[in-house]
Amino acid sequence: MDPLIVTQAINLIYAVSTLAVLALGLAVIFGLLGVLNIAHGEFIMIGAYCAYVTQSGRWPYLAAVPLTLIVCGILGWAVEWIMIRPLYRRPFDTLVATWGLSLLLRKIAEAIFGLGFYSVNIPVPGTVHFLDTEYPIYRLLLIAVSLLIVIGLVIWYGGSRTGSRIRAMVSNPELAQAQGISVRRLAAGTFIVGTCLAGLGGVMLAPLIPVQPFMGLDYVLRAFFVLIVGGLGSVSGLLSGAAVIGGVDSIISATSSATDGYFAVLVLSILFLWLRPRGIVAHS
Amino acid sequence: MRTASLIVLIAVALPFLLGPFWAYQLGLYALYAAAAVGVGLCWGQAGFLPLGQALFFGLGAYLSGLTFIAFADLPIVAVLAMPIFAVVSALLAYAIGVLVFRRRGESGPYFSMITLALSLLAFQIATSWNSVTGGFNGLKGIPGLPGLNDFSDVYYVSAGVLLIVLAIAGWLYTAPIGVLWRALAQNERRVQLFGFDTNQLKAAAFGLSGLMAGIGGVIYAPQQGIVTPQVVGFGLSADLVIWTAVGGRGNLLGPVIGTLLVGSLTAQLRDTLPFWEVLMAVFFIAIVLVFPKGIAGLADPLARFLKSRRKQPAVAAPKRLSSDLPARLVLNGVGVRAGEFTILDRLSLEFEPTGIFCVIGPNGAGKTSMFNAVSGELATVTGSIDLGGTPVSGLTPHRVTRLGVARKLQIPSVFQHLSIADNLAIALWSGRANKLQLLDPRLRRWTTPMLEDLQTRYPFLASAERKAGELSHGEQQILELAMALLTEPRVLLLDEPCAGLSPEETTAVIGIVRWAAVRLGGAIIVIEHDMSLVKELAEVVYVLHNGTLLAKGSVGAIQADAAVRAVYVGGEK
Amino acid sequence: MTAGRLVFEAITGGYGSTTIVRDLTGGANSGEVLCVLGRNGVGKSTLMKLLFGYLPCRRGQVLLDGKPVSQLDPSARRRSGMTYCPQERPVFDDLSVRDNLTLMRTSRQLGAFRRYFDRFPVLERRLTQHAGTLSGGEKKMLSFVRGLAEDQPIILLDEPSEGVQWENILHMIASITEKKATGAAFVVVEQNLSFAERIADRYLIMDQGRAVLEGSSSAIYRGQILAHLHV
Repeated sequence: MDPLIVTQAINLIYAVSTLAVLALGLAVIFGLLGVLNIAHGEFIMIGAYCAYVTQSGRWPYLAAVPLTLIVCGILGWAVEWIMIRPLYRRPFDTLVATWGLSLLLRKIAEAIFGLGFYSVNIPVPGTVHFLDTEYPIYRLLLIAVSLLIVIGLVIWYGGSRTGSRIRAMVSNPELAQAQGISVRRLAAGTFIVGTCLAGLGGVMLAPLIPVQPFMGLDYVLRAFFVLIVGGLGSVSGLLSGAAVIGGVDSIISATSSATDGYFAVLVLSILFLWLRPRGIVAHS
Repeated sequence: MRTASLIVLIAVALPFLLGPFWAYQLGLYALYAAAAVGVGLCWGQAGFLPLGQALFFGLGAYLSGLTFIAFADLPIVAVLAMPIFAVVSALLAYAIGVLVFRRRGESGPYFSMITLALSLLAFQIATSWNSVTGGFNGLKGIPGLPGLNDFSDVYYVSAGVLLIVLAIAGWLYTAPIGVLWRALAQNERRVQLFGFDTNQLKAAAFGLSGLMAGIGGVIYAPQQGIVTPQVVGFGLSADLVIWTAVGGRGNLLGPVIGTLLVGSLTAQLRDTLPFWEVLMAVFFIAIVLVFPKGIAGLADPLARFLKSRRKQPAVAAPKRLSSDLPARLVLNGVGVRAGEFTILDRLSLEFEPTGIFCVIGPNGAGKTSMFNAVSGELATVTGSIDLGGTPVSGLTPHRVTRLGVARKLQIPSVFQHLSIADNLAIALWSGRANKLQLLDPRLRRWTTPMLEDLQTRYPFLASAERKAGELSHGEQQILELAMALLTEPRVLLLDEPCAGLSPEETTAVIGIVRWAAVRLGGAIIVIEHDMSLVKELAEVVYVLHNGTLLAKGSVGAIQADAAVRAVYVGGEK
Repeated sequence: MTAGRLVFEAITGGYGSTTIVRDLTGGANSGEVLCVLGRNGVGKSTLMKLLFGYLPCRRGQVLLDGKPVSQLDPSARRRSGMTYCPQERPVFDDLSVRDNLTLMRTSRQLGAFRRYFDRFPVLERRLTQHAGTLSGGEKKMLSFVRGLAEDQPIILLDEPSEGVQWENILHMIASITEKKATGAAFVVVEQNLSFAERIADRYLIMDQGRAVLEGSSSAIYRGQILAHLHV
């Protein structure tokens, strides 16, 4: 097999699966709670900085995971309590508040780490020989981990008791309350899951990109486009959205330029917004 | 006028008070302030938030810069081109607004994200398109505006431009379009049900904000001599939002105060106080959550003092633009579905062009859904709806309203934050004002004989400045009813007009409905549960059940109908 | 299972600035059924929402076993011993019938539902199906079983028989009678008079948000009730 095609194919799979994971946190919060968390990108940024801090402290790379979960978890809990809960019925105000939050988190990161780029070392360096071509091990690992996370979450959501309760709360909050579900606590928990997923995405991505305070913007927009195109409220929507956005971006960036890729993604999203606003997999 | 003179006075005096360095700084920030006024227009008036406004500022700057460089020997060409470029920015903004606001329903978050994405895209293009924009280092060596020499000249040009922008904004805010923006920020659906195309209104607001940003941008290039991608990117866009919020987004001068104070302070303090920016972010969040009026809110008492107190004479409103002859409303086999549920099941009924009719039926019978289908808010999958022979199904709500259909909603939906006078004015503009007239502040003084009659019956309707939200529940019902009547509709749809009213208030409403039936000469269709009201008002009663017509006839006939009884009492098998 | 007693005193409330229910007093003792009747729009469902905490009482109070519950939100009232089966959207359409029944129970075992499945076999047949695929009457039956199986002292049912076949309504009557014997108190809003008169110990007839007729079922004639229900 032509090594170039294999490489491009794996690149495509890599782009789609990592995009799916990065969009997952926003999908959880926007799709289930109806809250557009513009600071989603900043939680990814926090994950990336946690990876950097772990590396500076000379701890094993995996230590970044619990660190991120703690930071994003506590932050998510605080944000939900202060900013999101009073504004659940006011989606526009939530948008403005989370935009303010994203600003705050960026400025804090700037104040602590400065505006410069940081580099995090790839924890599993090297390439592996794969279908007549060499491919970086770490990326293959990320593909596997991404798929695991998405599939794992889906299984858990569909099968577990808590997953059922979340689905109940989302589809019929009045009845959920009637049956004794503390909607407030469950919603808070869901929000925290969303922020932690974003943080994990940041940890995964950190070795491959420059870590700087503005890194989150690109990702929150891409995640948002994935949701516009794919549709809110279903996993198949998330995956199809990731496939379309990730695919288009990859292919056009590879053949033309990154700017053209971005332009194509933007045009595509506006078209979907215009012609098929509920996305590919419309959920009632 | 008092306020305007004061502002001009301050603007002229500033360079003398603050010295050349600050004059120069303010000269720059006045341009940003022009863009911020645009953000205030979108956010504070029309209720949507543009997160990428620098796109239009920077577009104007790049276009202007390129022209000044190209015509360095003949700067007059570049000067004449400047307003054209500002208009280009405006048109781009309008086009984006039209594209994005087409989405029915909650478009706010989507709009914000798209503008954010566009600003980032513009930054990328500006950085990579080296040949035209000069890439990351920008467009350098732009010649200055001809004939300007020192710092205060620069300042006066900027201040002049800012004053022009403020004049435009100030005029728009007092014009009917400003009232409509503020109304749609509170309740977009209700504005549509008064016959206004809210998507166009929002796109117009965005276009105008693009114009203001563009005006600032075209001056920026020759003034600063260099245009870098920063001027089109995220940082400036974010700053514009922050300055607008902190200064006070709902206020005309708020964004200017925010930009001049906070913006120039930040430039000074950014390096000396490392946590200054973090502090600003916290401050922004606090303002958004707790004190949305911003700094301008502190000056409220002053604003009240400066407000003109002269009461101006009323202006007679013209007649309705569309026909006001009575018309027959016909539903023919109308089907409405929501997913798997059938809400209306091949519903067929007709209303005479004149008279008072009541629609009754058990819960879930489809009464309100029928109204929603008629006013164009629910799509019909089968059948047709005609008004006086004109097909109505498939039209958007604002077009249906323009044909002469008015609604009073089940839950009182007056514009809480607007004054009673503005609420009534919106009703008067409905169906009478063409688009250009929406820019004419005189329309706020429109009156009709019907309004005068209503104000005589209900004196509280004449307390012009009181906010509608301060009225009691019963008064709000009457205000909304009055607004529906003032549109002089051919068909008036009233959805439980007496819900939650005391017996005295109910009697009052019955009185108005009877009076209106005679005065308007059209059809009034009332959904009611209260049988005593139905007996008083209805000439014909329609009974709906399971989305279809069960019975039709006089009150007596309905009461004697066995099928109707069974539905209401619940039989046994 | 402990006995319960629900009392509401002069409660007034509604949606937003609207007042729908005015000055309503009543209650249900342990082992009793209070039937709330009235035409559409008189405020019956609003009364239930006030009792269960979805809407705040502008005046008056709701007492559970003598203790005021005004501070409690619906999920807290559920935990204090009240069960509520709403009139609209009575089940979780996205969950299976089984999940609907066992959502808040400690185990997924269905042993406790045996006697209900005997009466309503259609539910057992459709255990794995999504509740959204059930007919309107079947959803009401599912909601009814879920509510009664919660084994709580106070049970609020809003139009439990809507869309249900008469033979199943008879089963509901049997279940309610059984539950009454164990000491539960019921407040049942109904449109179906034939059903109501077979379960009611007391009546509360509403019109325009107020009580127009009330008393024990032995003291009120069918004709009196019909007069208030008719169009």
